[in-house]
Amino acid sequence: MCYNKQYNLSKIIFLIAGSLVLLFILSPIIGMTLSVKAPYLFDTINDVQVRETIIRTIIISFTTTLIASFFAIPLAYILAKYTFPLKRIVETIVDIPIVIPHSAAGIAILGFISRDTPLGKLAQSIGLNLVDSPIAIGIAMAFVSVPYLISCSKDAFASIPDKIEKAAYTLGASPLKTFITISLPLAKRGIITGFVMMFARGMSEFGAIVIVAYHPMTAPVLIFDRFNSFGLEYAKPIAVILVLIAMMIFFLLRYYQGKIKDR
Amino acid sequence: MLILDNIEYKIDNFSLGPLNISIEKGEYLALFGASGSGKSTLLEIISGIRKPKKGRIILNNRDITNIAPQKRDISIVFQDYALFPNMTVFENIAYPLKIRKIDKQKMDENINELSQKLKIETLLKRYPLNLSGGEKQRVALSRAIIHKPSLLLLDEPLSALDQDLRVEAIDILRQIKSFGITTIHVSHNKEEAKELASSILYL
Repeated sequence: MCYNKQYNLSKIIFLIAGSLVLLFILSPIIGMTLSVKAPYLFDTINDVQVRETIIRTIIISFTTTLIASFFAIPLAYILAKYTFPLKRIVETIVDIPIVIPHSAAGIAILGFISRDTPLGKLAQSIGLNLVDSPIAIGIAMAFVSVPYLISCSKDAFASIPDKIEKAAYTLGASPLKTFITISLPLAKRGIITGFVMMFARGMSEFGAIVIVAYHPMTAPVLIFDRFNSFGLEYAKPIAVILVLIAMMIFFLLRYYQGKIKDR
Repeated sequence: MLILDNIEYKIDNFSLGPLNISIEKGEYLALFGASGSGKSTLLEIISGIRKPKKGRIILNNRDITNIAPQKRDISIVFQDYALFPNMTVFENIAYPLKIRKIDKQKMDENINELSQKLKIETLLKRYPLNLSGGEKQRVALSRAIIHKPSLLLLDEPLSALDQDLRVEAIDILRQIKSFGITTIHVSHNKEEAKELASSILYL
Protein backbone atom coordinates (compact mmCIF):
# COMPACT_ATOMS: atom_id res chain seq x y z
CA MET A 1 0.00 0.00 0.00
CA CYS A 2 2.75 2.31 1.11
CA TYR A 3 4.80 1.27 -1.92
CA ASN A 4 1.86 1.98 -4.26
CA LYS A 5 1.36 5.45 -2.74
CA GLN A 6 5.05 6.28 -3.17
CA TYR A 7 4.96 4.89 -6.70
CA ASN A 8 1.94 7.04 -7.61
CA LEU A 9 3.50 10.13 -6.02
CA SER A 10 6.75 9.73 -7.96
CA LYS A 11 4.74 9.14 -11.11
CA ILE A 12 2.86 12.41 -10.58
CA ILE A 13 6.09 14.34 -9.88
CA PHE A 14 7.70 12.93 -13.05
CA LEU A 15 4.59 13.75 -15.10
CA ILE A 16 4.54 17.35 -13.86
CA ALA A 17 8.28 17.78 -14.47
CA GLY A 18 7.96 16.29 -17.97
CA SER A 19 4.93 18.41 -18.83
CA LEU A 20 6.76 21.58 -17.75
CA VAL A 21 9.64 20.76 -20.10
CA LEU A 22 7.20 20.18 -22.99
CA LEU A 23 5.40 23.41 -22.16
CA PHE A 24 8.72 25.27 -22.04
CA ILE A 25 9.59 24.04 -25.56
CA LEU A 26 6.17 24.49 -27.11
CA SER A 27 4.98 27.77 -25.57
CA PRO A 28 7.26 30.22 -27.43
CA ILE A 29 6.80 28.37 -30.74
CA ILE A 30 3.01 28.14 -30.48
CA GLY A 31 2.83 31.71 -29.13
CA MET A 32 4.87 33.03 -32.04
CA THR A 33 2.93 31.04 -34.64
CA LEU A 34 -0.47 32.17 -33.31
CA SER A 35 0.61 35.81 -33.06
CA VAL A 36 1.23 36.02 -36.82
CA LYS A 37 -1.96 36.81 -38.72
CA ALA A 38 -2.63 34.69 -41.80
CA PRO A 39 -2.49 37.59 -44.34
CA TYR A 40 1.00 38.57 -43.08
CA LEU A 41 2.10 34.97 -43.42
CA PHE A 42 0.86 34.77 -47.03
CA ASP A 43 2.46 38.15 -47.83
CA THR A 44 5.75 36.83 -46.48
CA ILE A 45 5.48 33.60 -48.47
CA ASN A 46 4.92 35.71 -51.60
CA ASP A 47 7.92 37.91 -50.79
CA VAL A 48 10.53 37.02 -53.44
CA GLN A 49 13.47 37.68 -51.12
CA VAL A 50 12.04 35.38 -48.46
CA ARG A 51 11.33 32.62 -50.96
CA GLU A 52 14.77 32.86 -52.55
CA THR A 53 16.46 32.92 -49.17
CA ILE A 54 14.62 29.86 -47.88
CA ILE A 55 15.30 27.92 -51.09
CA ARG A 56 18.98 28.94 -50.95
CA THR A 57 19.21 27.84 -47.31
CA ILE A 58 17.64 24.46 -48.06
CA ILE A 59 19.82 23.84 -51.14
CA ILE A 60 23.09 24.78 -49.42
CA SER A 61 22.29 22.80 -46.30
CA PHE A 62 21.24 19.72 -48.29
CA THR A 63 24.30 19.85 -50.58
CA THR A 64 26.60 20.37 -47.61
CA THR A 65 25.07 17.40 -45.77
CA LEU A 66 25.32 15.21 -48.86
CA ILE A 67 29.00 16.04 -49.43
CA ALA A 68 29.81 15.70 -45.71
CA SER A 69 28.18 12.23 -45.68
CA PHE A 70 30.91 10.79 -47.92
CA PHE A 71 33.50 11.68 -45.27
CA ALA A 72 31.50 11.55 -42.04
CA ILE A 73 29.95 8.09 -42.52
CA PRO A 74 33.30 6.30 -42.99
CA LEU A 75 34.67 8.16 -39.96
CA ALA A 76 31.60 7.13 -37.94
CA TYR A 77 32.20 3.51 -38.99
CA ILE A 78 35.85 3.64 -37.92
CA LEU A 79 34.89 5.15 -34.54
CA ALA A 80 32.19 2.53 -34.03
CA LYS A 81 34.13 -0.55 -35.07
CA TYR A 82 37.83 -0.04 -34.45
CA THR A 83 40.03 0.52 -31.46
CA PHE A 84 43.13 2.58 -32.11
CA PRO A 85 45.53 4.83 -30.21
CA LEU A 86 44.16 8.35 -29.58
CA LYS A 87 40.59 7.24 -30.37
CA ARG A 88 39.28 9.26 -27.40
CA ILE A 89 41.02 12.35 -28.74
CA VAL A 90 39.49 11.85 -32.20
CA GLU A 91 36.04 11.50 -30.59
CA THR A 92 36.61 14.70 -28.63
CA ILE A 93 37.70 16.55 -31.78
CA VAL A 94 34.50 15.44 -33.53
CA ASP A 95 32.42 16.90 -30.70
CA ILE A 96 34.28 20.25 -30.53
CA PRO A 97 31.81 22.11 -32.83
CA ILE A 98 28.97 21.27 -30.42
CA VAL A 99 30.66 22.81 -27.38
CA ILE A 100 32.23 25.98 -28.81
CA PRO A 101 30.17 29.14 -29.32
CA HIS A 102 29.04 29.27 -32.94
CA SER A 103 30.21 32.85 -33.34
CA ALA A 104 33.68 31.62 -32.31
CA ALA A 105 33.34 28.87 -34.91
CA GLY A 106 32.54 31.56 -37.49
CA ILE A 107 35.65 33.53 -36.52
CA ALA A 108 37.76 30.37 -36.78
CA ILE A 109 36.35 29.54 -40.23
CA LEU A 110 36.84 33.13 -41.40
CA GLY A 111 40.49 32.89 -40.35
CA PHE A 112 40.73 29.75 -42.45
CA ILE A 113 39.08 30.93 -45.68
CA SER A 114 39.74 34.69 -45.87
CA ARG A 115 41.70 36.09 -48.82
CA ASP A 116 45.10 36.14 -47.09
CA THR A 117 45.03 32.45 -46.06
CA PRO A 118 46.50 29.63 -48.23
CA LEU A 119 42.98 28.28 -48.89
CA GLY A 120 41.65 31.76 -49.70
CA LYS A 121 44.58 32.40 -52.06
CA LEU A 122 44.09 29.04 -53.76
CA ALA A 123 40.39 29.80 -54.27
CA GLN A 124 41.22 33.25 -55.63
CA SER A 125 43.65 31.75 -58.13
CA ILE A 126 40.70 29.97 -59.74
CA GLY A 127 38.51 33.06 -59.50
CA LEU A 128 36.63 32.19 -56.31
CA ASN A 129 36.12 34.45 -53.35
CA LEU A 130 35.17 32.20 -50.44
CA VAL A 131 34.09 34.86 -47.96
CA ASP A 132 30.47 35.97 -48.45
CA SER A 133 29.81 33.03 -50.79
CA PRO A 134 27.56 29.97 -50.68
CA ILE A 135 30.74 27.90 -50.17
CA ALA A 136 31.49 29.83 -46.95
CA ILE A 137 27.91 29.23 -45.82
CA GLY A 138 28.27 25.51 -46.58
CA ILE A 139 31.57 25.31 -44.67
CA ALA A 140 30.02 27.06 -41.65
CA MET A 141 26.94 24.81 -41.79
CA ALA A 142 29.08 21.66 -42.06
CA PHE A 143 31.36 22.74 -39.22
CA VAL A 144 28.58 23.19 -36.69
CA SER A 145 26.33 20.32 -37.79
CA VAL A 146 28.55 17.41 -38.88
CA PRO A 147 28.89 16.02 -35.30
CA TYR A 148 25.17 15.11 -35.42
CA LEU A 149 25.63 12.97 -38.53
CA ILE A 150 28.76 11.32 -37.14
CA SER A 151 27.19 10.64 -33.75
CA CYS A 152 23.95 9.11 -35.12
CA SER A 153 25.82 7.02 -37.72
CA LYS A 154 28.35 5.86 -35.14
CA ASP A 155 25.62 4.63 -32.79
CA ALA A 156 23.92 2.85 -35.69
CA PHE A 157 27.12 1.07 -36.77
CA ALA A 158 27.99 0.19 -33.17
CA SER A 159 24.64 -1.59 -32.78
CA ILE A 160 25.49 -4.07 -35.58
CA PRO A 161 26.89 -7.27 -34.02
CA ASP A 162 30.51 -7.86 -35.14
CA LYS A 163 29.69 -11.48 -35.95
CA ILE A 164 27.36 -10.44 -38.78
CA GLU A 165 30.23 -8.65 -40.50
CA LYS A 166 32.66 -11.49 -39.70
CA ALA A 167 30.21 -13.93 -41.28
CA ALA A 168 30.17 -11.80 -44.45
CA TYR A 169 34.00 -11.87 -44.61
CA THR A 170 34.11 -15.65 -44.36
CA LEU A 171 31.47 -15.93 -47.08
CA GLY A 172 33.84 -14.12 -49.44
CA ALA A 173 32.94 -10.43 -49.05
CA SER A 174 35.76 -7.90 -48.79
CA PRO A 175 35.54 -5.32 -45.98
CA LEU A 176 34.30 -2.72 -48.51
CA LYS A 177 31.69 -5.10 -49.95
CA THR A 178 30.61 -5.97 -46.40
CA PHE A 179 30.30 -2.29 -45.57
CA ILE A 180 28.15 -1.60 -48.65
CA THR A 181 25.94 -4.70 -48.56
CA ILE A 182 25.61 -5.34 -44.81
CA SER A 183 26.74 -2.51 -42.53
CA LEU A 184 25.31 0.41 -44.49
CA PRO A 185 21.80 -1.11 -44.98
CA LEU A 186 21.68 -2.18 -41.31
CA ALA A 187 22.70 1.29 -40.14
CA LYS A 188 20.35 3.00 -42.60
CA ARG A 189 17.89 4.20 -39.97
CA GLY A 190 20.52 5.88 -37.81
CA ILE A 191 22.31 7.35 -40.81
CA ILE A 192 19.09 8.89 -42.17
CA THR A 193 18.34 10.33 -38.73
CA GLY A 194 21.84 11.83 -38.62
CA PHE A 195 21.47 13.14 -42.16
CA VAL A 196 18.21 14.92 -41.33
CA MET A 197 19.61 16.23 -38.03
CA MET A 198 22.66 17.64 -39.79
CA PHE A 199 20.55 19.10 -42.59
CA ALA A 200 18.09 20.72 -40.17
CA ARG A 201 20.86 21.97 -37.88
CA GLY A 202 22.75 23.45 -40.84
CA MET A 203 19.60 25.10 -42.13
CA SER A 204 18.97 26.79 -38.78
CA GLU A 205 22.57 27.90 -38.16
CA PHE A 206 23.05 31.64 -37.57
CA GLY A 207 26.09 32.43 -35.41
CA ALA A 208 28.83 30.99 -37.61
CA ILE A 209 27.19 31.94 -40.92
CA VAL A 210 26.60 35.60 -40.07
CA ILE A 211 30.36 36.01 -39.60
CA VAL A 212 31.55 34.28 -42.78
CA ALA A 213 28.72 35.35 -45.10
CA TYR A 214 26.11 37.97 -44.22
CA HIS A 215 25.33 37.93 -47.93
CA PRO A 216 24.00 35.95 -49.72
CA MET A 217 21.51 35.66 -46.87
CA THR A 218 20.30 32.42 -45.35
CA ALA A 219 16.89 32.27 -43.65
CA PRO A 220 18.18 32.72 -40.06
CA VAL A 221 20.29 35.71 -41.17
CA LEU A 222 17.26 37.20 -42.96
CA ILE A 223 15.19 36.85 -39.77
CA PHE A 224 17.91 38.69 -37.85
CA ASP A 225 18.21 41.31 -40.62
CA ARG A 226 14.46 42.00 -40.66
CA PHE A 227 14.37 42.13 -36.85
CA ASN A 228 17.30 44.54 -36.76
CA SER A 229 16.05 46.77 -39.56
CA PHE A 230 12.25 46.72 -39.13
CA GLY A 231 11.46 45.15 -35.75
CA LEU A 232 9.80 42.06 -34.31
CA GLU A 233 6.60 42.12 -36.39
CA TYR A 234 8.55 41.85 -39.66
CA ALA A 235 10.84 39.08 -38.41
CA LYS A 236 8.09 36.87 -36.98
CA PRO A 237 6.42 35.62 -40.20
CA ILE A 238 9.75 34.39 -41.62
CA ALA A 239 10.56 32.75 -38.29
CA VAL A 240 7.17 30.99 -38.38
CA ILE A 241 7.75 29.75 -41.94
CA LEU A 242 11.21 28.42 -40.99
CA VAL A 243 9.81 26.68 -37.91
CA LEU A 244 7.04 25.11 -40.02
CA ILE A 245 9.56 23.86 -42.59
CA ALA A 246 11.80 22.42 -39.84
CA MET A 247 8.81 20.70 -38.23
CA MET A 248 7.70 19.32 -41.59
CA ILE A 249 11.14 17.78 -42.06
CA PHE A 250 10.96 16.16 -38.64
CA PHE A 251 7.47 14.78 -39.25
CA LEU A 252 8.63 13.35 -42.59
CA LEU A 253 11.59 11.78 -40.80
CA ARG A 254 9.37 10.18 -38.15
CA TYR A 255 7.03 8.91 -40.88
CA TYR A 256 9.94 7.44 -42.85
CA GLN A 257 11.44 5.85 -39.73
CA GLY A 258 8.08 4.24 -39.03
CA LYS A 259 8.07 2.84 -42.56
CA ILE A 260 11.49 1.19 -42.20
CA LYS A 261 10.65 -1.95 -40.30
CA ASP A 262 13.14 -3.56 -37.96
CA ARG A 263 13.86 -6.94 -39.47
CA MET B 1 43.61 -31.21 -45.98
CA LEU B 2 44.08 -28.71 -43.11
CA ILE B 3 47.33 -28.44 -41.15
CA LEU B 4 47.81 -26.20 -38.14
CA ASP B 5 51.55 -25.96 -37.67
CA ASN B 6 52.68 -24.68 -34.26
CA ILE B 7 49.82 -22.19 -34.01
CA GLU B 8 50.07 -19.81 -31.06
CA TYR B 9 47.75 -16.99 -30.07
CA LYS B 10 47.85 -14.50 -27.23
CA ILE B 11 45.64 -11.62 -26.21
CA ASP B 12 45.79 -9.92 -22.79
CA ASN B 13 45.91 -12.78 -20.24
CA PHE B 14 44.64 -15.45 -22.62
CA SER B 15 46.98 -17.70 -24.56
CA LEU B 16 46.42 -20.64 -26.88
CA GLY B 17 48.85 -23.21 -28.23
CA PRO B 18 51.27 -24.12 -29.57
CA LEU B 19 48.84 -26.34 -31.51
CA ASN B 20 49.65 -28.94 -34.12
CA ILE B 21 46.55 -30.35 -35.80
CA SER B 22 46.11 -32.18 -39.06
CA ILE B 23 42.71 -32.91 -40.63
CA GLU B 24 42.22 -35.02 -43.74
CA LYS B 25 40.05 -33.82 -46.61
CA GLY B 26 36.40 -34.73 -45.99
CA GLU B 27 37.03 -35.46 -42.30
CA TYR B 28 34.49 -34.35 -39.65
CA LEU B 29 36.44 -33.34 -36.56
CA ALA B 30 34.75 -32.71 -33.23
CA LEU B 31 36.67 -30.27 -31.06
CA PHE B 32 36.07 -30.36 -27.31
CA GLY B 33 37.44 -28.28 -24.51
CA ALA B 34 36.50 -26.62 -21.27
CA SER B 35 34.77 -23.27 -21.30
CA GLY B 36 37.37 -20.59 -22.05
CA SER B 37 39.86 -23.08 -23.48
CA GLY B 38 39.88 -21.21 -26.79
CA LYS B 39 37.76 -23.43 -29.05
CA SER B 40 35.87 -20.52 -30.66
CA THR B 41 39.09 -18.48 -30.82
CA LEU B 42 40.76 -21.32 -32.71
CA LEU B 43 37.92 -21.30 -35.27
CA GLU B 44 38.34 -17.54 -35.69
CA ILE B 45 42.11 -18.04 -36.20
CA ILE B 46 41.52 -20.71 -38.84
CA SER B 47 38.92 -18.55 -40.61
CA GLY B 48 41.25 -15.54 -40.61
CA ILE B 49 39.17 -13.31 -38.34
CA ARG B 50 42.01 -13.42 -35.79
CA LYS B 51 45.67 -13.52 -36.59
CA PRO B 52 47.92 -16.09 -34.84
CA LYS B 53 51.01 -14.85 -33.06
CA LYS B 54 53.07 -17.71 -34.44
CA GLY B 55 52.71 -20.71 -36.70
CA ARG B 56 51.24 -21.55 -40.09
CA ILE B 57 47.86 -22.63 -41.40
CA ILE B 58 47.97 -24.80 -44.51
CA LEU B 59 44.72 -25.57 -46.36
CA ASN B 60 44.88 -27.92 -49.36
CA ASN B 61 48.63 -27.32 -49.73
CA ARG B 62 48.23 -23.51 -49.65
CA ASP B 63 49.68 -21.42 -46.83
CA ILE B 64 46.74 -19.23 -45.82
CA THR B 65 48.24 -17.80 -42.60
CA ASN B 66 48.44 -14.27 -43.97
CA ILE B 67 45.50 -14.45 -46.36
CA ALA B 68 42.38 -12.33 -45.69
CA PRO B 69 39.26 -14.24 -44.47
CA GLN B 70 37.34 -13.55 -47.69
CA LYS B 71 40.03 -15.27 -49.75
CA ARG B 72 40.41 -18.41 -47.63
CA ASP B 73 37.39 -20.38 -48.86
CA ILE B 74 36.47 -21.23 -45.27
CA SER B 75 32.90 -20.80 -43.97
CA ILE B 76 31.97 -20.42 -40.35
CA VAL B 77 28.60 -20.92 -38.67
CA PHE B 78 28.49 -18.95 -35.44
CA GLN B 79 26.68 -20.04 -32.30
CA ASP B 80 24.01 -17.36 -32.84
CA TYR B 81 24.05 -17.98 -36.64
CA ALA B 82 24.76 -14.31 -37.56
CA LEU B 83 22.20 -14.22 -40.36
CA PHE B 84 21.88 -10.91 -42.20
CA PRO B 85 18.67 -9.38 -40.78
CA ASN B 86 18.24 -7.03 -43.75
CA MET B 87 18.00 -9.92 -46.22
CA THR B 88 15.46 -12.67 -46.83
CA VAL B 89 16.45 -16.29 -46.36
CA PHE B 90 16.96 -16.57 -50.13
CA GLU B 91 19.18 -13.48 -50.17
CA ASN B 92 21.16 -14.77 -47.19
CA ILE B 93 21.88 -18.08 -48.94
CA ALA B 94 22.54 -16.34 -52.26
CA TYR B 95 25.08 -13.95 -50.68
CA PRO B 96 28.24 -16.05 -51.18
CA LEU B 97 27.11 -16.94 -54.72
CA LYS B 98 26.49 -13.28 -55.61
CA ILE B 99 29.96 -12.39 -54.29
CA ARG B 100 31.36 -15.06 -56.62
CA LYS B 101 29.25 -13.67 -59.50
CA ILE B 102 27.47 -16.98 -60.14
CA ASP B 103 24.83 -16.46 -62.84
CA LYS B 104 21.22 -16.07 -61.75
CA GLN B 105 19.90 -19.33 -63.21
CA LYS B 106 22.65 -21.46 -61.70
CA MET B 107 22.19 -19.62 -58.38
CA ASP B 108 18.44 -20.32 -58.31
CA GLU B 109 19.04 -23.99 -59.15
CA ASN B 110 21.65 -24.42 -56.41
CA ILE B 111 19.55 -22.69 -53.78
CA ASN B 112 16.40 -24.62 -54.66
CA GLU B 113 18.27 -27.92 -54.58
CA LEU B 114 19.95 -27.26 -51.23
CA SER B 115 16.87 -25.72 -49.63
CA GLN B 116 14.91 -28.88 -50.48
CA LYS B 117 17.61 -31.09 -48.98
CA LEU B 118 17.68 -29.04 -45.78
CA LYS B 119 13.89 -28.56 -45.73
CA ILE B 120 13.84 -24.78 -45.87
CA GLU B 121 12.21 -24.33 -49.28
CA THR B 122 9.12 -22.75 -47.69
CA LEU B 123 11.21 -20.20 -45.78
CA LEU B 124 13.02 -18.56 -48.69
CA LYS B 125 10.95 -15.37 -48.73
CA ARG B 126 10.99 -14.86 -44.97
CA TYR B 127 13.31 -12.66 -42.93
CA PRO B 128 15.56 -14.09 -40.15
CA LEU B 129 13.55 -12.24 -37.49
CA ASN B 130 10.57 -14.47 -38.31
CA LEU B 131 12.43 -17.79 -38.04
CA SER B 132 12.66 -20.26 -35.16
CA GLY B 133 16.05 -21.32 -33.75
CA GLY B 134 16.07 -24.56 -35.75
CA GLU B 135 15.12 -22.76 -38.96
CA LYS B 136 17.84 -20.16 -38.43
CA GLN B 137 20.38 -22.91 -37.96
CA ARG B 138 19.42 -24.62 -41.22
CA VAL B 139 19.54 -21.30 -43.08
CA ALA B 140 22.98 -20.50 -41.61
CA LEU B 141 24.24 -23.96 -42.61
CA SER B 142 22.82 -23.56 -46.12
CA ARG B 143 24.48 -20.15 -46.49
CA ALA B 144 27.79 -21.59 -45.26
CA ILE B 145 27.90 -24.54 -47.68
CA ILE B 146 26.06 -23.28 -50.79
CA HIS B 147 29.36 -22.34 -52.47
CA LYS B 148 31.03 -25.63 -51.43
CA PRO B 149 33.84 -24.19 -49.26
CA SER B 150 37.07 -26.10 -48.67
CA LEU B 151 36.46 -26.04 -44.93
CA LEU B 152 33.35 -25.64 -42.75
CA LEU B 153 33.69 -24.42 -39.17
CA LEU B 154 30.78 -24.94 -36.79
CA ASP B 155 30.89 -23.04 -33.50
CA GLU B 156 28.56 -24.91 -31.13
CA PRO B 157 25.81 -25.04 -33.76
CA LEU B 158 23.43 -26.99 -31.54
CA SER B 159 23.79 -25.10 -28.28
CA ALA B 160 20.92 -22.68 -28.95
CA LEU B 161 18.44 -25.48 -29.74
CA ASP B 162 16.16 -27.40 -27.41
CA GLN B 163 16.32 -31.21 -27.20
CA ASP B 164 13.74 -31.98 -29.93
CA LEU B 165 15.36 -29.62 -32.39
CA ARG B 166 18.81 -31.02 -31.61
CA VAL B 167 17.81 -34.46 -32.85
CA GLU B 168 16.55 -32.90 -36.07
CA ALA B 169 19.67 -30.70 -36.35
CA ILE B 170 22.00 -33.70 -35.91
CA ASP B 171 20.22 -35.32 -38.88
CA ILE B 172 20.82 -32.16 -40.91
CA LEU B 173 24.52 -32.13 -39.91
CA ARG B 174 24.79 -35.80 -40.81
CA GLN B 175 23.42 -34.89 -44.24
CA ILE B 176 25.96 -32.09 -44.55
CA LYS B 177 28.70 -34.52 -43.55
CA SER B 178 27.63 -36.70 -46.49
CA PHE B 179 28.43 -33.79 -48.85
CA GLY B 180 32.12 -34.45 -48.07
CA ILE B 181 33.07 -30.94 -46.86
CA THR B 182 35.94 -30.98 -44.35
CA THR B 183 34.36 -29.85 -41.07
CA ILE B 184 35.46 -28.78 -37.60
CA HIS B 185 32.60 -28.91 -35.11
CA VAL B 186 33.21 -27.17 -31.78
CA SER B 187 31.01 -28.55 -29.03
CA HIS B 188 30.82 -29.03 -25.31
CA ASN B 189 28.35 -31.91 -25.67
CA LYS B 190 30.39 -35.07 -26.25
CA GLU B 191 27.40 -37.27 -27.06
CA GLU B 192 26.08 -35.15 -29.92
CA ALA B 193 29.50 -34.69 -31.49
CA LYS B 194 30.38 -38.38 -31.17
CA GLU B 195 27.34 -39.15 -33.29
CA LEU B 196 28.75 -37.08 -36.11
CA ALA B 197 32.51 -36.96 -35.80
CA SER B 198 34.97 -39.13 -37.66
CA SER B 199 37.67 -37.93 -35.24
CA ILE B 200 37.71 -36.15 -31.91
CA LEU B 201 40.16 -33.68 -30.42
CA TYR B 202 40.35 -32.30 -26.87
CA LEU B 203 41.73 -28.79 -26.53
